[in-house]
Amino acid sequence: MTSIQTDWEGHYLDGQTAARQRVSIRLMRLGLHVTTERGATLWWPYEEIRQTQGFYSGEQVRLERGGEFSEALLVSDTSFLTQLHQIAPELATRFHKPAHRRRRARLVLIAALASMGVLAVLYLWGIPALAAFVASRVPVSWEERLGRSIVTHLVPPAMRCTDKTRTRVIDEIITVLTASLPTSPFTIRVIVVNDSTINAFAVPGGYIVLYRGLLEKTQTAEELAGVLAHELQHIFKHHVTQALIQHVSTGLLLAAITGDTSRATAYGLESARLLGILRYSRQSEEEADAAGMRMLLESGIDPKGMIAFYELLTKSTSETSSILKYLSTHPSTGDRIKNLKSLVEQSQPKSVKLLKGYDWSNIKKICQTTSSLN
Amino acid sequence: MVIFSMKCPKCGLIQMLGATCKACGASVPNPETHSAQMPSQSTGRTASLSQPPSPTIQGKPPQTGQESSQTRQLSFHGTGGSLYGIYIVNIFLIIITLGIYSFWARVRVREFFMSQTEFAGDRFAYHGSGKELFIGFLKAMLVFGVPIGVLNAIPDLLDIPEWVKIVVGLLSFVVTMMLIPFATVATRRYRLSRSSWRGIRFTFRGLVWDFIKLFLGGSFLTTVTLGLYYPFFATRKYAFLASHSYFGNEKFSFDGEGKDLFGSFVLAILLTIPTLGLYWFWFMAKKHRYLWDHTSFATSRFLSTVTGDRLLLLKLGNLLLLIVTIGLGWSWIRVRTARFYLGCLSSQGPLDLAGIEQEAQLATATGEGLASFFDLDAGFDLG
Repeated sequence: MTSIQTDWEGHYLDGQTAARQRVSIRLMRLGLHVTTERGATLWWPYEEIRQTQGFYSGEQVRLERGGEFSEALLVSDTSFLTQLHQIAPELATRFHKPAHRRRRARLVLIAALASMGVLAVLYLWGIPALAAFVASRVPVSWEERLGRSIVTHLVPPAMRCTDKTRTRVIDEIITVLTASLPTSPFTIRVIVVNDSTINAFAVPGGYIVLYRGLLEKTQTAEELAGVLAHELQHIFKHHVTQALIQHVSTGLLLAAITGDTSRATAYGLESARLLGILRYSRQSEEEADAAGMRMLLESGIDPKGMIAFYELLTKSTSETSSILKYLSTHPSTGDRIKNLKSLVEQSQPKSVKLLKGYDWSNIKKICQTTSSLN
Repeated sequence: MVIFSMKCPKCGLIQMLGATCKACGASVPNPETHSAQMPSQSTGRTASLSQPPSPTIQGKPPQTGQESSQTRQLSFHGTGGSLYGIYIVNIFLIIITLGIYSFWARVRVREFFMSQTEFAGDRFAYHGSGKELFIGFLKAMLVFGVPIGVLNAIPDLLDIPEWVKIVVGLLSFVVTMMLIPFATVATRRYRLSRSSWRGIRFTFRGLVWDFIKLFLGGSFLTTVTLGLYYPFFATRKYAFLASHSYFGNEKFSFDGEGKDLFGSFVLAILLTIPTLGLYWFWFMAKKHRYLWDHTSFATSRFLSTVTGDRLLLLKLGNLLLLIVTIGLGWSWIRVRTARFYLGCLSSQGPLDLAGIEQEAQLATATGEGLASFFDLDAGFDLG
């Protein structure tokens, strides 16, 4: 039978001065019996003691008792705790057991794996699902307000092409496209930017920003209709709002993990302004493709225009990379074109010529009355 | 155990019994004994000290050999592995509590760093709680965060005339500039009040308004001189923060001046391009050494042996570790850094530690919440 060491050497701090008194401590069944070097005795019942240090190897054991400015007992040997557990097993549960350090390491490993799992689930499924759920329930007036401020920020009035007759032509295309829909809560507004970039994007609340560069690349009205249909679907399905929520949530998640709260608030404010990262998930893009194509078919517009335009844009030529910009956020645009083609084959396109009698090349002059950017 | 401490009715400082308050000078007519300690009068098993503690008020207890030794080294005992374990558990709990646990997580890390720091044979202790940080954060958000956020967002969300936007922007800037020094002082006061060594708490007694003036003036001068004022500004800030810090009833003091650093600062600027910026490590080391060497506590003075080359090696090593472990080695980096700085720091000269008495304040954590809003790290400077 191993002998239990009941008497230990330690130090005592009275919480009133920084003097350190040598004491001897006797482990008893209900508490510690402490004798100071001056001969005074103290009684510390286990229930009143908290252990605040001594959880790591080489660390002295520190037991505290009392309120704000507590007294403390210091013992440098952690086998003191092991003995305590042997002498008073039921009351000693509040104290660390050095033997459990192995178990602690294993728990940490489990926690690590579990964290990674939970993070992965959150990032890959949880946040997107939450974003989709919330995005579809955001009031239209909020989206409109957000969209208005974004558009004012990104496309100041000086950069917009406001040729009345030609913008009316584009609006007519929109009317044809949305004719097949029941009442939509959105007021669609197309803004043409005097910039040679080949790009177009949707902004929450019903705004579509169209770059002159893209407009100039289209050969027929049907091609533009394809682009507009795609962007309209981004608006109707709240893809931009969803992307924003996802962006903010991911940022918040990262900030919470690293404990960096100032970034969290910065994210909240900044994301509302920073729509340069209009990056949709691949799923959103495919949804917009399919729904946009359906919209074309239902409106009786020739779907070949949309496909032809996509093919034009994917042809990597020696031209600037801005061509790729419109379709560039995702690879496998070949797949997207294939999907579009199969959609067309499945239906029976009954096409009516859009804007009969209108010379489409005329539209390219839409920006001639505004100051050019480049 | 019988208590011989009292709480000042005016400024709240908890100190040994006396007729007047040591901090604000208010007279304490009938000092009540402080009832923070748990009464240990249960079932007559209490033994009062056979010798009443009055010697600790009126005279100094006998010095042991250790107390009067001339060098007291600081050291850091923590390992990267232990800290890593803490981080992992923290991350896990933060995720499943959707971020709420982050306050308690921060406390755990701070406890670790303070408990693993040793000075003159004893370790420091941290007494803060996650709940305090959480409440402080909420208060800071409510009182400061929301108004500032609104001030920042107004220009974008509303359609108002340009000049109003400018005024709002300026207002937001001024408020922020005043809140940073406020948060710095409040954080320091909070953290010091929750830190102790041998059971005796630290306190910070500097006044917020004094630091706001210092900060605003210094920032202005630094901007106007295109940065040349910086060594003076940094020194004055450190002087304020150090010289108003107390351990128990004894004060820290600082006797350095900005002009002593000015030469090295200008040299560092001039040598930036020729040495590809490496000379800044030597300047940072010199600044660290200078500030500590001119900090004293009671009858002792601090000494730092940080040098530019070793600092550079430390940072390079950390960078290498970061890259090789793809960021996972963060805990080892923090431990290495703490071990380096603390290992270079010591307290020199005679120092009667045993005679230092408890004088403490219970500050709130609102400033802490505000500081994290501004991403400040007014860390406990003894580490």
